[in-house]
Amino acid sequence: MGDTPTMIPDFGFEFDAMGTVCQLRVCAHSQVLAEAAAQRAIGEVRRIEAKYSRYRPDSIVSRINAAAGTGERIAVDDETAGLLRFADTLYEASAGRFDITSGILRRVWDFKAARVPSAAEVDALLPDIGWFQADWDGESLALRRPGMELDFGGFAKEYAADRAAAVLHEAGIAGGTVNLGGDVSVVGPHPGGHPWKIGIAHPRRPGDVVASIDLSHGALATSGDYERSFEVDGRRYCHILDPRTGWPVTRWQSVSVVGPACLAAGALTTIAMLMGDEAHDFLRGQGVAFLTVDAGGHLHREKPDGP
Amino acid sequence: MAATDRPLRIGSIVAAALSVTALPAAHAESAPEKGSIALKYLYYRDFQKNDTQYPGEPKPDGAKFDRITVKAPSVLLVVPIGSDWSVEAGATVDDVSGATPRYYSSVSGATKAPGGMSDKRNAGDVKVTRHFSRGAVAVGVATSSENDYDSSAVSLEGRYATEDNNTTFHLGAAATRDKIGSTDDPALDERRRTNEVMAGVTQVLGANDIVQVNLGYRHGAGYFNDPYKSADRRPDERNQGTLLARWNHHVVPLGSTLRSSYRFYKDSFGIAAHTVEAAWVQPFAEWWSVTPSLRYYSQGAAKFYCDPSSDPAVFPFCPGSPTFATTDQRMSAFGAVTLGIKLQLRWEDWTGDVKYERYTQKSDWKLGGSGSPGIDPLYADMVQVGVSKAF
Repeated sequence: MGDTPTMIPDFGFEFDAMGTVCQLRVCAHSQVLAEAAAQRAIGEVRRIEAKYSRYRPDSIVSRINAAAGTGERIAVDDETAGLLRFADTLYEASAGRFDITSGILRRVWDFKAARVPSAAEVDALLPDIGWFQADWDGESLALRRPGMELDFGGFAKEYAADRAAAVLHEAGIAGGTVNLGGDVSVVGPHPGGHPWKIGIAHPRRPGDVVASIDLSHGALATSGDYERSFEVDGRRYCHILDPRTGWPVTRWQSVSVVGPACLAAGALTTIAMLMGDEAHDFLRGQGVAFLTVDAGGHLHREKPDGP
Repeated sequence: MAATDRPLRIGSIVAAALSVTALPAAHAESAPEKGSIALKYLYYRDFQKNDTQYPGEPKPDGAKFDRITVKAPSVLLVVPIGSDWSVEAGATVDDVSGATPRYYSSVSGATKAPGGMSDKRNAGDVKVTRHFSRGAVAVGVATSSENDYDSSAVSLEGRYATEDNNTTFHLGAAATRDKIGSTDDPALDERRRTNEVMAGVTQVLGANDIVQVNLGYRHGAGYFNDPYKSADRRPDERNQGTLLARWNHHVVPLGSTLRSSYRFYKDSFGIAAHTVEAAWVQPFAEWWSVTPSLRYYSQGAAKFYCDPSSDPAVFPFCPGSPTFATTDQRMSAFGAVTLGIKLQLRWEDWTGDVKYERYTQKSDWKLGGSGSPGIDPLYADMVQVGVSKAF
């Protein structure tokens, strides 16, 4: 074990979870050690995926949704309470733009079929959207209207990336990355000290990168209008929907944020996409580095002012 | 909590996110995230060349005698249930045929049943494990049944890891109840009760080394005789102690792993044994590995084992009329060497392996020489093929 730290190799692992391709980079002395740590990280991602899945009838989200409108309060565990507190903060800080009850819009927005819903269809859903209609006391939750649903899809992947990175760290891994479909959480720099180079996908040219970012710590997340979207009559409709109107955003092609945690970075990119013209001010206010591509394809890059 | 357009506090979302992700790990040790099914097939055959001239027996012709043959297909299933539980279940059917030696290595007598023995053993076990943040508790039951031998066991085990996961403690206990009959003697109906405890600790000593020490103690009471051997009389109590030390060392430049162990065993029958073992796991590319292994075993004879008597009037029994006596060669003093090689292939969720072992047992190979006289060397071949799939 007389290796100098720079000789520690990194091992890559790829798996499918959270509806996307996931990659781990793990710096370890041996494949065996890397694999053992990776298995634990993958297990953590799958645990979160299962726990917050809308598709599992026994998940906490499904139980809350099933009780919507019945008056029954569902008590939640500490982890879920933490995420709901976070969702509450996001709702307040984004003036209602980030809303975990907005998932029901997918009932009329079918991105696979590339179908634009009618205004009446969208409007019919709006009364059942609104975090203010959730009765959340910090320990238990009831959705007041029977048509309401919670959806953790807005941050579960980012949270899983942070947790997987934490699990790798707990397993003794000092250097590595967790990349869940473009949401990246860094465990630590390469043992040699150099940072990881992470590319940001070009929002219009598939396979191209628009920029590359060096990261030693923290996280990077990107939201864009290209992930799930379609074009009809020259107009692009993307999956980032404003819960207040039910219609997609149009101001930005993509927003990338570098922050200390992927959970923060991911939420900020979504809110920034929803903020329109105020996005840059909003991101400056959060003290994070960001990169945006506007509707015309122009790049904007900013780092927070140092203290 | 209503939505307002008041100015944001700087970094409020970042701060909120950090407070969430800083939550302690809910499940550092989770249940296996994947299930797996494994099918194995074991073929075992042992044989002995009869070269020793026993008093009153025909002159040996050096013929090779096949003794026990075992053909055992088995299936093992691991199923995770939720994130906290897992269930393991195994089943095996052994076809055992052949002859156990009646006296020492003399094979002419075989068993008292004409044509030697033939038996079928059905065995199954189920273990349920509850996984906690840094440990696990498991409860298991196992049964096995032959036409002259039934066994059932329950076990309880737990393990607990320190916060840094570098040290793991294990504790286990098991109780076994055996029912012994005999096809030679339908009236034979005996019992044996065995209780055992085990404690161990595993320590990670850095990136490439892991060591483990286990201590075990077993107390058995009841029938220990071999019903198929004449004048086999053993104490009705047996206490057994084991000390096992393991060291796995990863050799970074080669990507290989050395697995080594030493085991000391001592029991109230008077048998003391040492086992040293080493295996070298050599991966080639990501999808296959070769593991050669070497094991040396040495034991001293039981207190009541008696060497073959040169007096034809006494052979094959023990001189005098001792309270306890056995001529079972497994109770004699000997040494044994096992050479093995295993080839393992991995492709995505599939694993396949083939293992071959050759076992050679000789009295002369006892640690320090002087093993029990008058016993022919015993050889055994073992081939195991297995395939498993994770799902």
